[in-house]
Amino acid sequence: MILSIEELSIAGQGRTIVDNVSLAVREGEFMALVGQSGSGKSLLSQSIGQLLPPNLHASGRILFEGSNLLERTSKEMRALRGSRISYIFQDYQGAFTPFRSIGGHFDEYQKVHGEKSSAVRKTKAAAALESVGLDAALLRRYPFQLSGGQLQRAAIATSLLLSPRLLIADEATTALDSVSGHRVLELLVAKQKETGCAILFITHDWRHVRRYANRLSVMKEGRIVESGGKHRILDHPQHEYTRNLIDAAPVLSRSLKSGLEEESR
Amino acid sequence: MFRILLRKFLEVFIFLLFIMFVSFLFIRLAPGDPVLTILNVDELSVSQEQVEAMREEMGFNDPLLVQFGNWLLDFVRLDFGSSYSTGQPVMQTLMSALPATAELTLGALLVMLLIAVPLGSLSAVYRGSWIDTLSRMLSIVGAAVPSFWLGLILIDLFGVRFGNLPTMGRDGFASLILPCVTLGLAISSVYVRLLRSSLLDSLSQEFVRSARARGLSEGRIFWLHALRHSLPPVITVFGVSLGSLIGGVVVIEVLFAYPGIGKLVVDAIRQRDYPLIQGYILIMAVVVFVVNTAVDLSYRYLNPEMKLKEKEAHR
Amino acid sequence: MKSIPLRVRTRAAKSKKHSVQAIVAALFALLVIAASAYTFLVLKHDPTLTDLRGRLLGASTLHPLGTDHLGRDVLTRLLLGGGQTLGYSLLALGAALVIGIPFGIVAGYKRGWVDKLFMRIADGFLAFPDTIVAIVLSGLLGAGIGNLVLAIVIVKWVSYARLVRSTVLSESQKDYIRIARTNGLSDARIMTKHLLPHIAGHVLVLASLDLGKIILLISSLSYIGLGAQPPTPEWGAMLNDSRPYFQSRPELMVYPGLAIVSVVLLANMLGDYLRDRFDVKKEVQP
Repeated sequence: MILSIEELSIAGQGRTIVDNVSLAVREGEFMALVGQSGSGKSLLSQSIGQLLPPNLHASGRILFEGSNLLERTSKEMRALRGSRISYIFQDYQGAFTPFRSIGGHFDEYQKVHGEKSSAVRKTKAAAALESVGLDAALLRRYPFQLSGGQLQRAAIATSLLLSPRLLIADEATTALDSVSGHRVLELLVAKQKETGCAILFITHDWRHVRRYANRLSVMKEGRIVESGGKHRILDHPQHEYTRNLIDAAPVLSRSLKSGLEEESR
Repeated sequence: MFRILLRKFLEVFIFLLFIMFVSFLFIRLAPGDPVLTILNVDELSVSQEQVEAMREEMGFNDPLLVQFGNWLLDFVRLDFGSSYSTGQPVMQTLMSALPATAELTLGALLVMLLIAVPLGSLSAVYRGSWIDTLSRMLSIVGAAVPSFWLGLILIDLFGVRFGNLPTMGRDGFASLILPCVTLGLAISSVYVRLLRSSLLDSLSQEFVRSARARGLSEGRIFWLHALRHSLPPVITVFGVSLGSLIGGVVVIEVLFAYPGIGKLVVDAIRQRDYPLIQGYILIMAVVVFVVNTAVDLSYRYLNPEMKLKEKEAHR
Repeated sequence: MKSIPLRVRTRAAKSKKHSVQAIVAALFALLVIAASAYTFLVLKHDPTLTDLRGRLLGASTLHPLGTDHLGRDVLTRLLLGGGQTLGYSLLALGAALVIGIPFGIVAGYKRGWVDKLFMRIADGFLAFPDTIVAIVLSGLLGAGIGNLVLAIVIVKWVSYARLVRSTVLSESQKDYIRIARTNGLSDARIMTKHLLPHIAGHVLVLASLDLGKIILLISSLSYIGLGAQPPTPEWGAMLNDSRPYFQSRPELMVYPGLAIVSVVLLANMLGDYLRDRFDVKKEVQP
């Protein structure tokens, strides 16, 4: 159990947005958190890294590798963010500061996390880019000189640079068309196999869940309505809301909703 | 880059020529005989013969076209003649007053930065807090306070009542304090507001969130990422409002009897000392050109996208 | 889901802000009207009559704000000075608009040589900061409030014409102008009946935002002796007049200054209100 969220609530301005949620991510698994926009799933993911907006407050426990993240000081969290826990967001363009070169980002990132040798930083940056299928020459380029697809890969490369144990992908495929979305997920899964990191994938898109997740939780209006293995939930949803969500999502092939081929009739 | 500079230079130059020509016409056609102005300065009773002799000497009896030709030649040689009131060469007079004005202006800009950067930053980072409210109120009121009135109040407070800072002339560092603080305060309200809104925009950008997620410290994110991203609009406004800065310098120099070129030109205007006014225009044209160029260069430094786009355009 | 916005300035918050502003403005107007009525109907001082025996008096029922260094009633001069400052500013603004708007409409709608000529002129003017041009022009014309107003008109009309031109350019592409054209309306009619009303809001916003600046410019230049000349009761000139007496009578410095600040504040509030009202975004901001 790498991450275990227990009785987490997020509140602010007199409203409770996430209400008493418990959730666990196991070592090395692909866990999906599904819900419609406004369900509180993104805030939940931000609270893990203490990235909530200042007017929101989280209470409960977020156990990561056994210790409660909510009790960490912001300095300790900084050291953790990016190295043990890293994020991928929806907006790839925004992953890089516009006036800094891609290499500048890799360099600063490693420096902040204590890599003192500039030569090592350079080699690691080049290796990271190549590992996601990009040319190391891109390091000298600025973000606006990269195509959308290159930016996605570069952003993923930064997130995986320091071999995190937990990767939080917050709506990472939402802004992409279906093909690019799958390409990003293929890449993530491949990297997951290499490094063994756990992925917490936040989405409202069932197609991706069906294909890539091991387990999933369904969130509605700040609460988790159902959790479990992918096949169990997709094929035999217990909750009314889950059932409605699954039925609303289009399935094209003649297969079971979890993507398993139907057994011979 | 070179082409843009050339274009800018031509624009300023053509307008300069236009203004110079207008001022030439004014000198010749304006009510009030310049010759009388010149002679009156000496406080002598002037005879008709003296006026005629002067008129001849200065070439006012030549046909207008000849006069214009001569004027144009002088202009090309950057020779604006002598001041009507002091008899000193115009360019020399102005150049010797220029360092004083430069000191005042740079000092005021420094004061402005010392006010605007902390206040604008704090009110953007702590939006909605008391410091934000305070700085918003200050900048609204500040935009309505005339600089000369502010200067009078500061003179009264720190030159007379609660201190004895110099309030007149230019004599060492102390005499710079009040003029610089006055002008710096007067121009800072615009920049506080501008920096605040520009920073708010930068801080809400996705790259800030990404930097946070990578574990960068808030200080590093602010100084090395967000602040630099917020500067271009501020610099644009600085370039656009250069005129009001120069106008402010003029007012402050008169207020503090500070011997810079602003005070020189106001005295020249009062005495209809046209050669000096012309020289002032020329210097201002150079200043405008230099500042505009610096603004352009700083954009290219702050935003590499511009530089590279230009390169591609030239290919 | 994106993070929740920290604070959204809603329409309600804006209208609350504006109603507070309206109350402030109304109170100020009431104060000015009451003071004017008392001064001009009851006291009836001559604003330029000097009385050296009654100079630098303190406040009294006869002189509610005392008298200045020449024994003139301060309140009377303050109120008249308001009329002067505001009147000349509005005059300059109005004249610049009267020249700028038609120029901008014709340049933007007809394009062609008018537009080319205009853009050349505008580039020239913009290459040189307008405050300097105003100072220098008023210098060449000779110090005086009339010449200062003229100088402001000469530099300001360009910016209005530019704004109008760019608005007209984008409006001309829209369907209602195209339809009007294909329906055979005359150019003059399209320009006056269709384009003019549309740009009025933008121009009004820019003009009201400029009003405060022009007031400040006029009073500043009057203070340094390039605007209104004594004995005209102009605020900047009044401040200049009373500077030698600041130690003994600091209130002589306070009144005209506060008057300038409050009028400019009101003008800026008006501009702010109109900007929200017409929903003109940053494009108009200088």
